[in-house]
Amino acid sequence: MKQFQLNASIAIFVLVLLLSWVFHGTGVVENDVQRNIYIPETLTIPLQVKAAYNGDMMFFRYRWPAKEPHIYHDMLKFQDGKWERYGKSVAGPQPQGIYEDRVAMLVDDGSVPEFEKYGGYITVGDRMRFFTNEATKEEVEAHPYLGKKKEQEEVGKHLPETRANIADWASVVPEAQLDAQRKAGYFLDLWHWRAHRSSPIGKSDDQVIAEARYGDAGKGPFFDNWDKDAKRPKLMFDPDKLGKVGKVALAWDDIAQRKLGFDDLYYLREDQAKPYDPNYAWKNGDTLPRRVLRPGEGSRADISVQGKARWQDGYWEVSLVRKMDTGHPLDDKAFVDNRVYTVAFSVHRDAFGSRWHYVSLPQRLGLNRQADFQAVRFTGAEPAWDQDWRSVTLFYPGQVSWPILNSARHAGAENIKKGIPVRQRHSEIQLAHYGVEMEFYDAIRRQWQYTLLAGVLLITGFGVAVNLLLVRKEN
Amino acid sequence: MVAYHHLLVHFPIALWTTAALMILWRALSDGALAQAAGRLLTPLLALSIVTGFIAYVVGLSVFPFETLTSSPLGRNHLTAATWALAYWIVVLVTSWRLGEAVWIGVRRWIMLGLGALGGILLTVTGALGGHLSGSPSAVSQIFRLLGWEVYTTFYVPNFMLVLLIVSALALIGLGVAGRDRR
Repeated sequence: MKQFQLNASIAIFVLVLLLSWVFHGTGVVENDVQRNIYIPETLTIPLQVKAAYNGDMMFFRYRWPAKEPHIYHDMLKFQDGKWERYGKSVAGPQPQGIYEDRVAMLVDDGSVPEFEKYGGYITVGDRMRFFTNEATKEEVEAHPYLGKKKEQEEVGKHLPETRANIADWASVVPEAQLDAQRKAGYFLDLWHWRAHRSSPIGKSDDQVIAEARYGDAGKGPFFDNWDKDAKRPKLMFDPDKLGKVGKVALAWDDIAQRKLGFDDLYYLREDQAKPYDPNYAWKNGDTLPRRVLRPGEGSRADISVQGKARWQDGYWEVSLVRKMDTGHPLDDKAFVDNRVYTVAFSVHRDAFGSRWHYVSLPQRLGLNRQADFQAVRFTGAEPAWDQDWRSVTLFYPGQVSWPILNSARHAGAENIKKGIPVRQRHSEIQLAHYGVEMEFYDAIRRQWQYTLLAGVLLITGFGVAVNLLLVRKEN
Repeated sequence: MVAYHHLLVHFPIALWTTAALMILWRALSDGALAQAAGRLLTPLLALSIVTGFIAYVVGLSVFPFETLTSSPLGRNHLTAATWALAYWIVVLVTSWRLGEAVWIGVRRWIMLGLGALGGILLTVTGALGGHLSGSPSAVSQIFRLLGWEVYTTFYVPNFMLVLLIVSALALIGLGVAGRDRR
C-alpha cells in the first residue's frame, strides 16, 4: 500500500510537471480587437536593403517576403443606394484584405542622437494611436496645438523632446521651441512607400516626424475621394480619359477576388477622373477608390519609385530615389558624401495597417564611410545594384513605448540613461516577444505570480509526501 | 547590489552542483568514498540553502520589485530561483530525515531523480541569470528546442493552476495516508 502511494506521488509530481511544460504560456495571449490587440502569426521577417548614390541622387532598394501582394486600399462600394467603405485602418488585418503593403525608412544625420541608439522606439510616445490606452479623437482634437492648430486626430509618432514630459502626449513644448528644434534638425525624415498610395504613379510619400508625423510641405501624392456632407465620392473614373468606354467604376468582385493585378486599373488617378455623377445609374458592387493619386508638389513629392515596384515569386522589390539634397532642410535630411547616417526600416504586409508593422533596429549607413552597410557610389543615371544586400531582421514591436522604456517597468531604463544602445542588450526576437508580453502586461504578470506560488505549493506537497512515505518506523 | 549578487550566487551554484554530483555518485556506488560523500550530503545541502537564501534575498534587491517583475526574463529568473531554493530544501529535509537510509533500495533512485531535477532547476536559474546580466549562453537554445522561449514569461493557464493546487493537496494526502503511524 505504501509503495503504491509512493509510486502514485512520484507519478503525480512528474505528470503535473510535464503538463505544466506542455501547457505553459497558454490561456492569456489572445487577440482582442476591442482592446486594439492582435498578434501577428509571424513575429520577425527579413528585409534586404541596398543603397547607392551618384553625387546628385540617392537610391534605396528594398526586398522582403510576402505571401501575396496587397495593392488595393480603402475602397468605396455602392450597395443598396449607399457607398460603404472597405479598407480603413483597423486593429489587425483588414478583413477583406483591402489594405496596401508598405515599406518605410526613417533617416537621421545625427541631429537626433537617441535615434542612433534606440531607433523608432523613441518615436513611440504616450497613448499612441491603436494602443490599448490610445488617446481618443476628441481628446486630440481638443488639444490647443496638435488638435486645433495642426488638425491632428490621433497621437502619432513624435520625438521625445517635443514633449515637456515624455509620459504625457499632451505636454507639447511651446511652438517657438518646436520651430527652433526643427531648424536645428531635430526631426526624422520619413520615406514612406505605399503599394496603392501612390506606387502606381511612381511616387512615394515624403514625411517628417517631429512633434507629430506630418507630410512634408507641399501637396501629397494622394487625397481623399469622399464628400463628407453628401456622403458620396467626389470623383469617379472618366471613361474618355481611360480609353475604356463605360468604365466609371471598378467591380467589387474583381477587388474581393483579387482579379486585378499590377497592370490592371485598380487605382484612381486625378488626371483620369471626373466629378462624381449622382445621377449615373450606379448598381450594387460598383466600386471607387477612396484615395485619388496625383504627382504631388513641393517637398512632399521629392521621392519617386525607380523603375516599377513589383511583387514576384513571394518577394516585393521596391526601389526609391530622391535628390541627395532636396533643398528642403526643414523636412528632409540631406545626404552628403563621406558622412554616416542612421536609418531604420518598417514593413507592412498581409493587409495589416497602422501599428501592425515590422520594424528594424537602427542601422548605420555610410556614404564612403565605415558603417553597418554602405551606399555604393556610381556614375551615370541609375545604379547597377550589383552589390550585396544588407540583411536586416524586422520584428513586431507590440505596445512598447518610449515612456515605458524609461520607467521603472524597464530594467534597462538605467542603461538608456547611460546611452547604451539597444542592440547591445537585446536581439530582435527578444524585443518581439517583449512587445507581445507588454500587450498583456497585467494578465501575464498576474498569471506568473499564481504559477510561481502554485509551483512552490507543488514542490512542498511533493516534499511532504516523499518524506512521509520514505521514512519508516525503524528509522 | 548586482555585483554582490553575482558574487554570492557562486556559492549555491557550486554547492548545488557538487550536491547533484554527489547524489549521482552515491546512487550509483556503495564504495567507501561514495559512502563518505553521501554522509557529507546533508551538511553540504544545509550550507547551500543558507548561501542560496542569501543570494536570493540580495538578488531581490538588484532591481526594484516592479522592475524585476515587469521583465519576462526577470520573472523567469525569479521563478526558477524560487523553485530551485524550495526544491533543494526538500532534498535537504529528505537527506536529513532519512540519513543513510536514503541510499537503501528504491530510495537511492528517488534521490537520483531529486538530484537530477535540482540540477535542471539550477541550470535554468543560472542560464536566465546570465541573460539578465547581459551574458546569454547557448543553454537557452536547449530550452527553445524543448518548447520554451526564455524571452516569454513561464506561466500556466488557469486549469493548470487548479491542477497544480489539487495535485499538491493530493500529494500531501497520499503522504499522510501512507505514513507509518507510531
